[in-house]
Amino acid sequence: MGNGIRSPISFLILLALLFPLTLQISAVNYPINVWPKPTTFSWPKPQIALLSPKFEIHFPSNPYLHGAAKRYSQLLIQEQYHPLVAPPLNLPDSPALQSLIITVTDKSAQLTHGVDESYTLVIPSPSQSTAAAISAQTIWGAMRGLETFSQLVYGKPSRVACDLYIYDEPLFPHRGVMLDTSRNFYGVADLLRLIKAMSMNKLNVLHWHITDSQSFPLVLPSEPELAEKGAYGEVMKYSPEDVKNVVEFGMEYGVRIVPEIDMPGHTASWAEAHPDIVACTNMFWWPAGADLSSRIAHEPATGQLNPLASNTYKVVQNIIKDVATMFPDSFFHGGADEVTTNCWKSDKSIQAFLAKNGTLSQLLEMFITSTLPYVISQNRTVVYWEDVLLDANVSVAASLLPQENVILQTWNNGPNNTKKLAQAGYRVIVSSAEFYYLDCGHGGWVGNDSRYNQPPGTDLGKGGSWCGPFKTWQTIYNYDITYGLNEDEAKLVIGGEVALWSEQADPTVMDPRIWPRASAMAETLWSGNRDETGMKRYAEATDRLNEWRNRMVTRGIGAEPIQPLWCIRNPGMCNTVQPYVPN
Amino acid sequence: MGAAIGIPLTFLLILAFFITLSPQISAVSYPINVWPKPTAFSWPQPQITLLSPNFKIHFPLNPYLHQAANRYRNQFIKEHYNPLVVPHLNLTSSPPLKSLTITVTDDSAPLTHGVNESYTLTIPSPYQSTTATLTAETVWGAMRGLETFSQLIFGNPSRLACDLYIHDEPLFPHRGVMLDTSRNFYGVSDLQRLIRALSMNKLNVFHWHITDSQSFPLVLPSEPELAGKGAYGEEMKYSPEDVKRVVEFGMRYGVRVVPEIDMPAHTGSWALAYPDIVTCANMMWWPAGVDWTDHLAVEPGTGQLNPLSPNAYKVAKNVIHDVVCMFPDSYYHGGADEIAPNCWITDPEIQAFVAKNGTLSQLLEMFVDSTLRYIISLNRTVIYWEDVLLDASVNVSPSLLPPENVIFQTWNNGPSNTKKLTEAGYRVIVSSADYYYLDCGHGGWVGNDTRYDQPPGTDTGNGGSWCAPFKTWQTIYNYDITYGLNELAANLVLGGEVALWSEQADSTVLDSRIWPRASAMAEALWSGNRDATGRKRYAEATDRLNEWRNRMVTRGIAAEPIQPLWCIRNPGMCNTVHPFLAG
Repeated sequence: MGNGIRSPISFLILLALLFPLTLQISAVNYPINVWPKPTTFSWPKPQIALLSPKFEIHFPSNPYLHGAAKRYSQLLIQEQYHPLVAPPLNLPDSPALQSLIITVTDKSAQLTHGVDESYTLVIPSPSQSTAAAISAQTIWGAMRGLETFSQLVYGKPSRVACDLYIYDEPLFPHRGVMLDTSRNFYGVADLLRLIKAMSMNKLNVLHWHITDSQSFPLVLPSEPELAEKGAYGEVMKYSPEDVKNVVEFGMEYGVRIVPEIDMPGHTASWAEAHPDIVACTNMFWWPAGADLSSRIAHEPATGQLNPLASNTYKVVQNIIKDVATMFPDSFFHGGADEVTTNCWKSDKSIQAFLAKNGTLSQLLEMFITSTLPYVISQNRTVVYWEDVLLDANVSVAASLLPQENVILQTWNNGPNNTKKLAQAGYRVIVSSAEFYYLDCGHGGWVGNDSRYNQPPGTDLGKGGSWCGPFKTWQTIYNYDITYGLNEDEAKLVIGGEVALWSEQADPTVMDPRIWPRASAMAETLWSGNRDETGMKRYAEATDRLNEWRNRMVTRGIGAEPIQPLWCIRNPGMCNTVQPYVPN
Repeated sequence: MGAAIGIPLTFLLILAFFITLSPQISAVSYPINVWPKPTAFSWPQPQITLLSPNFKIHFPLNPYLHQAANRYRNQFIKEHYNPLVVPHLNLTSSPPLKSLTITVTDDSAPLTHGVNESYTLTIPSPYQSTTATLTAETVWGAMRGLETFSQLIFGNPSRLACDLYIHDEPLFPHRGVMLDTSRNFYGVSDLQRLIRALSMNKLNVFHWHITDSQSFPLVLPSEPELAGKGAYGEEMKYSPEDVKRVVEFGMRYGVRVVPEIDMPAHTGSWALAYPDIVTCANMMWWPAGVDWTDHLAVEPGTGQLNPLSPNAYKVAKNVIHDVVCMFPDSYYHGGADEIAPNCWITDPEIQAFVAKNGTLSQLLEMFVDSTLRYIISLNRTVIYWEDVLLDASVNVSPSLLPPENVIFQTWNNGPSNTKKLTEAGYRVIVSSADYYYLDCGHGGWVGNDTRYDQPPGTDTGNGGSWCAPFKTWQTIYNYDITYGLNELAANLVLGGEVALWSEQADSTVLDSRIWPRASAMAEALWSGNRDATGRKRYAEATDRLNEWRNRMVTRGIAAEPIQPLWCIRNPGMCNTVHPFLAG
């Protein structure tokens, strides 16, 4: 490996001429596949070649690309992946592939929303040339190409698919995983493993839901008491150094880290340090005899910031300033979901405010207008959960939420809310609970739940998980996040995020809860879920996902199995060919 | 540590006199707990004391007890468990506890069904004595007591509960976990980790569903081709040495290993070595256009042994012979579930048999009669799935299934089938799919499934898993396996097994799918699911299970979390106090 300078553009053009360029997605079944499936994968005569043990990657000078190239050159030599189904391809007598030459048009492009991630990968037949080539607009696109290249290498000794051409670029610029580290804690090593797996799947955003009512694990220099008193324990905190490690690791893997500090709801944990700014703390979340609509929090652990307490804004501004300093990404997630009316109503100062004809929506507007401009002043685009605009009881006027600064993340009502938000002119990130919530279908977790002590024969319905049933990888794969939108509205959908809320998750199950289901979204948002005839390609994707899941496992990601191994060994035999019959 | 002989019986008697003996289950909340909760736990004045770094265990000579004592002694000294909620107990200035003396009445009792597992554990206040005492009828009961002792130790330096008396014995003699190693493979180290966790939970049976239609991983000396061709691969086989290691490991941990070779159905994998003895192999499991009742297999992977093929008996008997040699347990599981009538009907020979007024039930009777006699001749009690008696279309007359030799394992229709089986005079093992199937609620796994490609808003019901919803730990905990039975019938219920079918499971999720849900069954079958007043104690069990799950994790068992950590830190605050509303 070394820093190559020679640009093999002419070679690329020559190769592109030799291959029939098929811009549509191919339905051809290849013996070796890449996940997510590339936009264009032309491999008319599948062949393989040996990868030289002295294989070198030449790349333009850039610290992050340097790290990635170093990492991948080790992987290419050492992985020696053993496929579940060995490709029926014989090694020819041709020389081994010696090198990969990377060229990048704009080396200085930052890892930010909308950065160009496209790349072109050409692997010639070594009888013609022993140098493969990746050309990309940015180093981030080059990283995507390196991942693709790595998935084309397998076996011992290492061999690689050759005589092929790939052009690849994502359909959606925002492709993420949300992880909640407040309900249960995850160590830095877990976050790094998550980032590594995301990069393998060409996902580019880790939405880090850092804090919530249950714990406040983030150590902030200006507000150290929040974590000191609000974290689960000394060993369950993220120090500024930890955050730096995570952010830097993300850069090395081409994954942005978007921090979320959820407020003004979901802030009970703040009360440990600042009891004066939090309403309804330490109350029972759903008192006996009260209607569901009268509960004080959506789930156990009550507490919401009090918009009438002047100290609230001092603390919030300190947090925003620190978080903006620690997280360089231009997106800041401000939460703002699930404001519970009864929590605020339990507070005396708020009761006085309401008695003078004030409304709870005015309170929320007060909070948003006092914090949003500050976030914007830090050069951040703000992401809020959709509730801030769409909640039926407590919401903010659209006029206070400028479209150029605010992105809304939808989670309710499937495509309906996506449409509402887009129609209101907002950019949208889709995390529909019906499709993208990874925690659903695992039953309820509150204690003393008599639902699970009913006489035998009682219908348990969806099993007590509010968003049950479990979202299978197919459910996720098949969801079209622009369903029902016109072209203008669809353009406002910047992408999607699967979400793992952690009431019933922690490091013991992080990998299998997320993978390979996040891989399903990764392909849908990268190259789509349809073949060139426009048909959903979930059936064809099954065997590819079986293989890809297995490869992730060998790479240290504990992705769960989706079928018996028998299925990929007996193609088509595990399918159903019966039509769907509605219940 | 060494083998000691002295029995401090007089001391025991004195202590038993001092401590109030309360034989009913105590509802008292103790600062330190044991899972499963002991039958009688008397600790009127909770105290703790240091454990001497030179702590010794004295025990009677027995190789398995020797190994267990060694293991536990290391654990006592080294575990240093850090509880989620630190017990509010001050260390007394008393001298540390120096030793544990074990006495066993019958140190030659083999590990078999119904072996006495009771024990009595007395930990004095070190002011009075620095020696704790464990008395048991058998070495297996002594192992249960050692596990209890280990759970009373925590902290660094190690301290333990003292001034207490425990008498403990299980409600049900058969308490197991079934694992399917055919749909996906598990390595020997996974099986050993499972056995270790079973022992921690005082479970005593590992029901090993070794083979099925998808793969035949068991290497048999008389029939090496079955695994030679039917295993998933060279590295996905269990050699006789592997089996010996698993069985021996089980002995060391007090866990019986009951092998299951499922037949005559679920035998597609046998056809790779013996195509002549298997009907309908390699066919599409549910052909296009046919009714569900005409499926060739209940799931992909077709194939059933042909009862009209003489060679089928030769092979089956070789298999039985070898399995009996490899597995010393007196129980042998013969499978016999889910005969698909159409699979047999595809065979010309069987068609001719049926044309001459033969029935499929006669075919099954032919098979069961011949193989059952052989198994019984090898001194084994046979377990069959209930289907062999209760299947609506293909079943065997009870006259061919002697209740003294045959036990049934129920999985359908909840308590109704348990009742049917006991009324027919059979002993029963309960694995009701409504309660005890750990794989349920994870969606469907067959390919090309249009259910997951419906327009948004389509009601997806319980999500496509046939036995959905997911069985929460509470569902499992609250099930009374003798529900609706009279005393005579209840006496025939030997116990229960939670079951993990592995279509969507393998070693990546083994621990988290099984634990802590199997712990819930472990307590219900050991000391019950009710408190002293007869009320279900699931609410009280929640915090204890949170703590126990955490301890299992620190012991290397990746049990999944059941709640946010916040819940155990805030007792009662994560409960619901609302009644269940049907629907």
